[in-house]
Amino acid sequence: MWAIETRNLRKVYRPLFGGNPITAVDNLNLQVPAGTVFGFLGPNGAGKTTTIQILIGNVYPTAGEAFVLGHRAGALAAKRKLGFLPEKFQFHDFLTAEEFLRMHGRLAKMDRTTLQRRIDEVLELVGLAERRTSKIREFSKGMQQRVGLAQAILHDPDLVILDEPTSALDPLGRRRVREVVQYLKERGKTVFLNSHLLSEVERSCDQVAIINKGRVIVQGTLDELLVNRSVVRVELRRVEPCVLEAAAKVAQKVHPVDERCFTAEVASEDDIPELARAILDAGGALIGLQAHRETLEDLFIQTVEAEGR
Amino acid sequence: MGVIIALTLKEAMRRRAFLGTLIILVTLYGLSFLPRAFKEAFGGDERQFELGVNIAVLFGIDAIKFFSAVLAILLSAGAITAEIERGYLAAILPRPLYRWELYLGKWLGVMLFSAANATLWTAMLWASVALQGEPRVEMWRALPYVLLYPILYGTLALALSSFLGASIASMFTVALGAFAYFSDHFLRPIAAFFDVRLLQQMIWLSEWALPMATLKRLVQIQVDTILPPGFGERPRFGRPDVLEFLNPPVQPLDLAYVALYILVALTVGLVIFWRRDVQ
Repeated sequence: MWAIETRNLRKVYRPLFGGNPITAVDNLNLQVPAGTVFGFLGPNGAGKTTTIQILIGNVYPTAGEAFVLGHRAGALAAKRKLGFLPEKFQFHDFLTAEEFLRMHGRLAKMDRTTLQRRIDEVLELVGLAERRTSKIREFSKGMQQRVGLAQAILHDPDLVILDEPTSALDPLGRRRVREVVQYLKERGKTVFLNSHLLSEVERSCDQVAIINKGRVIVQGTLDELLVNRSVVRVELRRVEPCVLEAAAKVAQKVHPVDERCFTAEVASEDDIPELARAILDAGGALIGLQAHRETLEDLFIQTVEAEGR
Repeated sequence: MGVIIALTLKEAMRRRAFLGTLIILVTLYGLSFLPRAFKEAFGGDERQFELGVNIAVLFGIDAIKFFSAVLAILLSAGAITAEIERGYLAAILPRPLYRWELYLGKWLGVMLFSAANATLWTAMLWASVALQGEPRVEMWRALPYVLLYPILYGTLALALSSFLGASIASMFTVALGAFAYFSDHFLRPIAAFFDVRLLQQMIWLSEWALPMATLKRLVQIQVDTILPPGFGERPRFGRPDVLEFLNPPVQPLDLAYVALYILVALTVGLVIFWRRDVQ
């Protein structure tokens, strides 16, 4: 079962007083398996926030369909099982953390006993148990984000959508969010994570999708997307064209960096000795060779650049 | 919906807008003690004193109409679009509630708050004249109709706030109110005395566009008994139709039109909010 599924989802904004229509989401097809931590990535303006707003029912699609936990996006049945932490938010800061969560619990139609228990649990989980009676206006931006996270998971939803959950957090706060994501994963919940902090996504997510210009470019598990590629940084006394040619015969891609350095993308780590031999055979004065497994950041940059921003 | 009503009430208390109007009204009610002060300082007969109290009551009712409408506009104009832009609704809208519940919850919250304030101010007015030994009940008779002012203006401002920011929504509502006031108080006598047909039609239209003059008449018939002599009477000479235009009588369907107007404004705002993207 898909926790989230979109079929040819499209959203076009038409300016009220003329001007060109803006296509924010363009035939987006996305499948998020239930019980996974899913990273939703893309450059600014790729259509991530619009997609999320459609999923939570705030924005109506121009065409296509979106389903959340088997229900049409925006339906009350879908909203009951959904938790959401918005990127841009302003909480009613005259309330205390506990009052704020109680309000959200009542909006989520939680019964009194369960609500009190869950308030205690989630405040503990996000590290704000000691500050439960403090007004939100007294909180730092990071603490407000954590109380936002607490409201998103308060009613024990099956799907939690986190839109830039770590944007205002320090490293300790980010670790706390990772722990919460792990906590949700262990309980079989689906987490849909939109973040620009790719290292965080790489640490937490089972699957990712990279979108650009409103369309999914790549989607898969991290193992599928990253395992078979290694990027080798090669340092020479001088990078000659014949060396690059020789390297290109072994590597899938070769990118000159400067006069003394280039990078080569090989299909697997097994190809690295052969690459070194090819460089030496072509007369290259090899100084250093450093291989690293392709990171999500490498994949993201290459994918988005290949698409042309 | 109860959660949204409670939240709106808390928000209104936090803004302390009502405290400002309360201070102004306390000042105004101070004026209602003037008849007693004048009598004690300068003498004068009982009839003059009664007249002074009546004028103070009429003035107080007008002040309640004005301030309760302003309060409702202030609270309603920023209730939807401004809250979306500030990010207040970002975490509330994904909750399992229909948009109409949110909209009506806000409307009810504002109306309850404005009505509570208007009732409190009416009680203050009643107490201030009762303390002078001249109790009046006209302000209580007028109260249900006075409450229509904040309901009308608040509903209109809320409907506009479903697609406009706070300042523009309040500006439009105030502008519409000012036009209706200007039309009724200044254009109407001109149109009547000079018998300008086009102007008369414009005034008629403005009353349909915002039934403020209708509301004024509905309140006025509740306080007829304390009107100063000659006030509100028709001129002795003139064509009957012109005289009627100058001072129209209350029609049986006036209240129904005001109710329908409020209902339509509420529905239009609701439909716009229901249909719009929230981002």
